[in-house]
Amino acid sequence: MFFRFGAALVLVILIALLGIAIEKRNLALRRSISLQDYRREQLLEQRARLRLETEQLGAPGRLLDEVEAGRLPLEVAEEAESSSVAR
Amino acid sequence: MSDDSHKPVLLRRERLVAAGVVLIWTILAARLVQIQGLQRKEFAHRARRQQTIEQTIPARPGDIFDRSGRLLATTTRAESLFVDPSRIDDPWGVSLSLSEAVHIDSDRLYERIGASRNSRFLWVKRRLSRDEADAVRRLDLPRHCWGLRREYLRQYPQGTLASHVLGLRDIDGIGRGGVEQAFDALLRGRDGTRRLVRDARGFVLDELDQVAQPVEHGQDIHLTLDAVVQTHVEHQLDRLMEEWKPVAVSAVVLDPNSGEIVAMASRPTFDQNDPGAGDGEGWVNRAIAAVSEPGSTFKPLIVAWALDRELLLRDEPFDCEQGEYRMGGRLLHDHHPYGVLSTADVLVKSSNIGMAKIGERLGNERLHTAATAFGFGRKTGVELPGELSGTLRPLPLWTDYSLGSIPMGQELSATPLQVVTAHAVLANGGRMITPHLFASGRHPAPSPRNVVTSRVIGEEAANWVVRVPLVQVVERGTGRKAALEDFQVFGKSGTAQKFDAATGQYSHTRHVCSFVCGAPADDPRLLVLVTVDEPTVGGPHFGGTVAAPAAAQILRRALLYRENRTRFAEDFDDAVPAR
Repeated sequence: MFFRFGAALVLVILIALLGIAIEKRNLALRRSISLQDYRREQLLEQRARLRLETEQLGAPGRLLDEVEAGRLPLEVAEEAESSSVAR
Repeated sequence: MSDDSHKPVLLRRERLVAAGVVLIWTILAARLVQIQGLQRKEFAHRARRQQTIEQTIPARPGDIFDRSGRLLATTTRAESLFVDPSRIDDPWGVSLSLSEAVHIDSDRLYERIGASRNSRFLWVKRRLSRDEADAVRRLDLPRHCWGLRREYLRQYPQGTLASHVLGLRDIDGIGRGGVEQAFDALLRGRDGTRRLVRDARGFVLDELDQVAQPVEHGQDIHLTLDAVVQTHVEHQLDRLMEEWKPVAVSAVVLDPNSGEIVAMASRPTFDQNDPGAGDGEGWVNRAIAAVSEPGSTFKPLIVAWALDRELLLRDEPFDCEQGEYRMGGRLLHDHHPYGVLSTADVLVKSSNIGMAKIGERLGNERLHTAATAFGFGRKTGVELPGELSGTLRPLPLWTDYSLGSIPMGQELSATPLQVVTAHAVLANGGRMITPHLFASGRHPAPSPRNVVTSRVIGEEAANWVVRVPLVQVVERGTGRKAALEDFQVFGKSGTAQKFDAATGQYSHTRHVCSFVCGAPADDPRLLVLVTVDEPTVGGPHFGGTVAAPAAAQILRRALLYRENRTRFAEDFDDAVPAR
């Protein structure tokens, strides 16, 4: 009788512990997802800023005068392009 | 004795206490039943409302690209500063500190805080720069009276390039003008919401993700614009503004075969990154929202239509009466006296008398039909807000006067986009194509507007007008300043007198000079229209002298750039074999 009672008690405790473990794991995963969402947002923002800066630096309006005046060494750029293509 | 005498009193007291206890418990039980049973829903709702808060997740607006993938508009995050006026103990001190940090007027801020003393929220400045936000943090003001909220900031990396076409997003992120307004539904996306559980102090405990509305970020869109061609166009317009000091100028570059608008610009202009600067004049996109009489640029359309309907012969002679022709009560003049001119020469010399005689032959009804067929009097359908339809009066209002006026581009008005769209019919072999900016085939969503193609005239008549008279306009006519070494150019000049409301007559000093041209003549790939509204210095002010050189330069650079791009793409394809 005592053995059966003890076994039932152990079973209940085990189920409770398992529930707690699952809950902890669930919380940890949710925290991790939340953190990844935050990191994703940060990276998207960083990407937007970097692309903005790149486009500002390479804007035709900024480079056109330089190109037409021959102040930008386009040949070098073309060589680099062709070598990268060849590779 | 005495104990016995106290017993009834005690018994009564006990019963009283017991009754009191029972009553209290009964009241408590009843209250419990009321709260847990009868008013359960109401209290549960009240508790949920107190514990959960709904937070908006703003949608990031989509980016705008040109046809080659160059970024024209994008979005970054910025912080906006607000204060809680009801919790500011020292309004003047806070106003002074904040105004120095974010560069605003301290007196004005002090007044605003004073006027909102009972409010819990007041914007101080929205979308701060990073330096400004850092400066605010360094002030170390009492934490409960201010805050920074993150918002999206629209940025235009190409500066003022294509500002009229792009439009802008206002302080609340709503598209105003241009593509930003036309495609607002696509670009803006849909804000999401999330519900958070908080404790009594307001700290967030958990997120109820099962009830959240997912955010739908705005879609990216690709335009038919080419940033390089657009840059060339805007440089030319700036030069025109400097050289001729006109009221305004505009230009459109159109692919006549597809209806794609490759460039569209207007001066004066405005800066989307600083929209408050400048006057209101800069906001008007004159390519679609300024109307004027098309003048002589209208003549080839009438000739092509008449040829197509076999109402006119290519080699037919017209007596141009040595420069003076009486038409009813009206005396018509040409710029130079001409004798007999062929149909082609009427266009090459831009003879008003020759065109009036063609008009007499067609009659008002056919002239009206022709003008309508080429799209005059109605909007082109380009995906931009604020487009005007121009003026084409109803046929019953036309008079005998119209027979002379309409064929030379008077008595009707049109936007530059309408004129270049009509000329695209000639350049592409007779088809009217809706001019558009939305690059199809590059989006998951279909185009919000339909591109309609319809035949206006036959290919033969269209090709002849382009390859013979319009080429000769550039070779030996009024458009000689548009001739290019690299390409065979066709074109037509237009010089329209502006109507003077004070005198009720056409002005002899105020003109709208325009030139429409395209190349190569045997297979037109691009059309350019430059319109100069009222040049004020230099002279003479004709379309062929004022607008033609700029139009030709734009055309040359755009074609050379396109050729180089194609060559580079072919070289690249050869170098990298398809996998």
